Amino acid sequence: MNTNKVRELINDNKTPIITKGAKSIYAKIIYYILGICISLMFLFPILYMVAASTKSEETIAKHAGTIMMFVPNFSNMGSFFSNYEILFGEYNIGRYALNSLLYAAIVIVLNIIINGLAAYAICKLRFPGKRFLNFIIMFLIIVPVETSIIPLYTICKTMLGFKQNLSILAIILPSSISVFNIFLFIQFFSSIPKEFEEAARMDGANTLKVFFKVILPLSKPILATVAVFCFIGVWNDYLWPTMVLVDESMFPIQAILGSLQAKEGITTGQVMASLVVTSIPIFIVYIAAQKYIVKGFGAGGLKL
Amino acid sequence: MTLFAIIVFIILALIFGLVVFFDIRKAKKQQQKYHLGRSITAMCLIFPACLLAFFFILLPILYSLGYGFTDYNLLKPSVAKFVWFKNFTDAFNEILKGGKLAMALKNTAFFVVLVVPLQIILALVLALFCNVNIKGRGIFKVCFFTPVVVSLTVTSYLWSELLSPSETGMMNSLLGLFGIPPQDFLNNPDTTMLWIVIVSAWQGCGYQMLIFSSALTGIRKDLYEAARMDGCNAWQRFIKVTLPGLKPTLLYVLITVFVGACRIMIQPMLMVGYQDNSVTLSYYMYQEGYAFRHVGYSSAIALLMTIFIGTITFIQRKVLGDKK
Repeated sequence: MNTNKVRELINDNKTPIITKGAKSIYAKIIYYILGICISLMFLFPILYMVAASTKSEETIAKHAGTIMMFVPNFSNMGSFFSNYEILFGEYNIGRYALNSLLYAAIVIVLNIIINGLAAYAICKLRFPGKRFLNFIIMFLIIVPVETSIIPLYTICKTMLGFKQNLSILAIILPSSISVFNIFLFIQFFSSIPKEFEEAARMDGANTLKVFFKVILPLSKPILATVAVFCFIGVWNDYLWPTMVLVDESMFPIQAILGSLQAKEGITTGQVMASLVVTSIPIFIVYIAAQKYIVKGFGAGGLKL
Repeated sequence: MTLFAIIVFIILALIFGLVVFFDIRKAKKQQQKYHLGRSITAMCLIFPACLLAFFFILLPILYSLGYGFTDYNLLKPSVAKFVWFKNFTDAFNEILKGGKLAMALKNTAFFVVLVVPLQIILALVLALFCNVNIKGRGIFKVCFFTPVVVSLTVTSYLWSELLSPSETGMMNSLLGLFGIPPQDFLNNPDTTMLWIVIVSAWQGCGYQMLIFSSALTGIRKDLYEAARMDGCNAWQRFIKVTLPGLKPTLLYVLITVFVGACRIMIQPMLMVGYQDNSVTLSYYMYQEGYAFRHVGYSSAIALLMTIFIGTITFIQRKVLGDKK
């Protein structure tokens, strides 16, 4: 053990890294080569998806499995987006993307209002029966709800009857309530000092006004976290929409992917393009809202 | 069924009323008073959440408990009757007979046994890899995390395209370069679940890597230095310092990955379909309950699954948590 190295390590206490940094140039080169190889293994299917989405059926058949797959066809740049053009034109995928966006927007707004108000009342207001409700929330968080998709389906079916226009409610309402979000809101609201509220009350604001004018503007970080997770949840949901929606024109984008694949005459490139279109918004959200997503992971009871 | 919902609702309302009554009485004893107007506003604010939670969280849980003992069928809901444990004996007969349920059990067990260690070890290795003090490790982290961002539906369709049995499928054309004839990866009973394991581990491990990675930064650095002074090599340091430091995280990851693995459903559903070699427990439950409309039978299986997962999770927590 080289004593110099030990001293060096003790001195740079700031870096939170546990493994000793690779010092020699060879170690670095090996590290990078290894890292690039593993990264390629992880990224390869996704890169392939993007590459294939710009290619025609014949090109894929000719180049599949070779490096040519990833080289754009420079001689015919006009047809670069032809798969996407067909997808948006003939198969009208934009409509389903808009459906998804619409559902996500409604769910986000409802989620924030319904869960936020409930959390506000439980956290900030004094009323009889509060401890009981608090207990119920904690109880519902622990109980596993994943196996209850079939009962949820029968309840929605008997309640809403699954008429065309009502089946949207079956998508929106169950995802508008989230005990976990109430829990998140309570945690955040309890960090807001009482003085803000009292000052507003002095000025004659009623409870609702306090919530919308004082509490909500102060809790932007948690609103962003909840909104981002709602968006990801609704956008990525596949099973539930295919169960409750009857009319295909109301399908969200994830649910339409299956029937797109079953369409006659659809090419591999077009299928890949539909997958790319489905993934892009989620990528954008992850990149734009990184901060809030990490916060949400941390809030999940994790000791990070 | 509607009657049951109404009864439950009334019972809950009564309980809540009682609690409110006792709270008020207790407050009176302590010379405190509730502001009447404010209490009413508060309850009004909570009401929508309570209503939705009742219908979409509490009632499904209660129903899933209750349906298991009836022969409720979605096609003829009015003639449902109480059948005691018939659904459960049916399920056991199906297993003994070697029917679909036995296959589902076998496939799920195969999947869980392979994917849990694979995913956790992979995530741990990647996390260690990303914690080396070197420039550019952040980029590698992003690369490893990318598959998590892509939805389950997209990954399933993407991989079924990559593994397509035709000669132009990605995997087959790669094999073709080595002169291996095209394989039908997903319909070959020997490899179906294996590929589903690979796809799931590929997609999931980035998330666990992130958790491990932030837990690793929390381990005290002086422990490593002390170990180094005592002449421990890298492997010994990993066993003696890193693993004990990661223990709470490891337990959390183990439980979440295990529970998630037991519920595997979307990948086999979209990649293969309802086949003997791909059916899993959740998929079987969904198919029975939704496609075949045998809600009672499906709920019985859901109940068994919940009990099983709950027990195993409890044991894991006890065995691994107590040693600390």
